[in-house]
Amino acid sequence: MGLPLFSASDDPGPSFFHFAQMSGLTPPVSSANVPSAHATTVIAVRYNGGVVMVGDRQASGNYIASRDVRKIEPADHYTAIAISGTAARGFEFIRMAQLSFEHYEKMTDTALTLEGKANYLSPIIQRNNLTSPLMVLPLLAGWDSAAQVGRIFEYDGAGGCYERFDFSTIGSGTPFAEGTLRLGFNTDLDQDGAIELGALAMYEAGDNDPSTGGPDFVRGLFPMIVTISSEGFRELDSDDVAERFRIINQRRTESGGVAGGSLR
Amino acid sequence: MTNYFYVAPEQLIRDRAEFAQKGIARGRSIVGAIFDNGVVLVAENPSASLFKISEIYDRIAFAGVGKYNEFDRLREAGIRWADSTGFTYSRGDVDVRALANFYAQHLGDMFTEGQKPLEVEILVAQLGNSTRPTKLYRIAYEGTISDEPRFAVLGGDAETIKSRFAASEDSLESLTTTLKNAVGALAGPDRTIEVSDLEVGILEDRGSRRTFTRLHDAQVSELLR
Repeated sequence: MGLPLFSASDDPGPSFFHFAQMSGLTPPVSSANVPSAHATTVIAVRYNGGVVMVGDRQASGNYIASRDVRKIEPADHYTAIAISGTAARGFEFIRMAQLSFEHYEKMTDTALTLEGKANYLSPIIQRNNLTSPLMVLPLLAGWDSAAQVGRIFEYDGAGGCYERFDFSTIGSGTPFAEGTLRLGFNTDLDQDGAIELGALAMYEAGDNDPSTGGPDFVRGLFPMIVTISSEGFRELDSDDVAERFRIINQRRTESGGVAGGSLR
Repeated sequence: MTNYFYVAPEQLIRDRAEFAQKGIARGRSIVGAIFDNGVVLVAENPSASLFKISEIYDRIAFAGVGKYNEFDRLREAGIRWADSTGFTYSRGDVDVRALANFYAQHLGDMFTEGQKPLEVEILVAQLGNSTRPTKLYRIAYEGTISDEPRFAVLGGDAETIKSRFAASEDSLESLTTTLKNAVGALAGPDRTIEVSDLEVGILEDRGSRRTFTRLHDAQVSELLR
């Protein structure tokens, strides 16, 4: 590629996605029915100091394609982006989002607001999902430094962007995770409470949904847990995560697999 | 009927060069220098928002003198080029030399074929790592590209500033010393530049992927103390 110069009238501005489209960097969309691996359950829970996100690690088609996929990535220091749906498109989407936010910041010398980032993703999702069967449904969570709160944005298949004030889940494990979240959520959760609730919801999703990978004690692979707060994006280290799932598993083993109507 | 007068090519080139030099000489100068731990770019710039120094990529910075709208467009093109190269291949494949060559080609084309030559001079700097060297490339208005070993001066008064800076610099020094020398060279013996009129950007490894930082006035005052 040569030096991408534009006249003032057709300059794509600070949007990397529009520039990428103009210069043919984004692949042409096609409606061919390509079999591909899917990424599954991700949970976001809002707490009094930010947002906790929990994502399983499994990509599956007709069989398990991968057990150690990362479905949550930092989009920038204060924002996390997670994906469900077609893995290939999802990872491309994460890359596009990460680069777009940084590109905007470099071009204009100002960072996008959290709402600006959320809205920016809508047409990208819409373009992908309405023109191809390779669906992507992301989840965006971030620390809003202007309002000093954590915020969660979810999307529908047509790119509609909705803010959630409690929690959100994406992927096929949603019904099972959501049941747990509904019963366990309250508005004054602290970080530890939100992590515990998110982990439990993921445990339930992994237990009932064949496409969601729960804690894998055999391989030592666990869902990933991240927090987004005023300190930015932080991923819990795997020993900490393993210990939290081991405790849940221990309780569930003692009760013989029965959740027993209480949140444990 | 229009009459075309013959103009000797030597004359044409001279006129164009003079035109570009005049435009560049109107602006203030920039010094870019390698210090023991990175690269520092220093500009005299009374505006706190129309920057002359910016980030292009993880380890690449840009500085321009002359007409703001012209070098800012080159800066934007550089960011687009770097981001799309990194997106297509990998972050490690974005190299400053390729970018400097594109700038040189474009400036050369505009000098010979454009309606008017661009009235800019630019500097692209790369912070080295285990696979790439630390580099300063200066690209003049007519597309001449020079690989500067330790420091580069851009702008109207470049030669004078260069001699002042060269006198103060023997080997790679700390950021504090290099910045003091650069500011001293920009100001000259009879003048001091207010901190608010200085724009300073550095490329330095601080453990994160992106190495460019714009220094605030307070940080600059602290370093110049």
